[in-house]
Amino acid sequence: MATNYKFKRLNAGRDYITDNYQAPLSLADMAKYSNMSPYHFLRVFKDTYGETPNEFLIRLRVEQAKKMLITGNFSVSEICEKVGYTSLGSFSSLFLKQVGVAPTLYRRKLWALSNEAFRFPSQAIPACYAYNFLGKKPN
Amino acid sequence: MITSIAHSTIYVLNQDEALDFYKNKLGFEVGDDMKVEGDFRWLTVYPKSNPQLQLVLAEPKEGPMFSKDSAEKIRSLIEEGAFGAGVFETENCQKTYEELVAKGVEFIQPPTEQLYGVEAMAIDNSGNWFSLVQR
Repeated sequence: MATNYKFKRLNAGRDYITDNYQAPLSLADMAKYSNMSPYHFLRVFKDTYGETPNEFLIRLRVEQAKKMLITGNFSVSEICEKVGYTSLGSFSSLFLKQVGVAPTLYRRKLWALSNEAFRFPSQAIPACYAYNFLGKKPN
Repeated sequence: MITSIAHSTIYVLNQDEALDFYKNKLGFEVGDDMKVEGDFRWLTVYPKSNPQLQLVLAEPKEGPMFSKDSAEKIRSLIEEGAFGAGVFETENCQKTYEELVAKGVEFIQPPTEQLYGVEAMAIDNSGNWFSLVQR
């Protein structure tokens, strides 16, 4: 775990990733905002947050992509670009690995479950919350 | 075997204002912020160093869970400070306390030595109190 001072520097690097996830980011770019060497940044980031900077970046991009797929009417290629990928193939592979289904199938499945256009279906949140807040009985 | 807690609920008076507090004052990250069927807003935040625990910021509203009367009672209890949001850990209670005070967070107890560490107590902008503990 990082010391308080190092934690602040790490957070600066992490915030930089959060604010710029749509842009091409290298490990050196991220580390610069924490005033650390790339290797040191990678190691301390992983020790502190439990994931590497790149894993964090992928998670951010995929979460944003999931939202855009459901609440927007963009094509998968447009979403791929909007979340910072230049290769549709790489984006689709990463999405499949993280979410378990390809982007198009994810959209099709969730849209089919939702009663309203551009809204997440109740199945997208834990069933106990869907039951309590939306009155959706578990299947 | 249960391995961890993934979600816990904090009832708040206004999700936008609560999001501002937990994100911009406490420095939490936004986990999910999405509209679900029926205009329900699923909003979660988490401490940067602990993404495994998502805190659900939920407004008590009339619906399947609460009658209109119950929702109003809960809102009133939140405002009275009858609920606690939990215990947040820090590596340096005094320093975090000073940072949060500078950001306008209201504390009801400054850092104080306890049997289990140094603890300060604050309230969020809904009225939920929480502890800040350095072990």
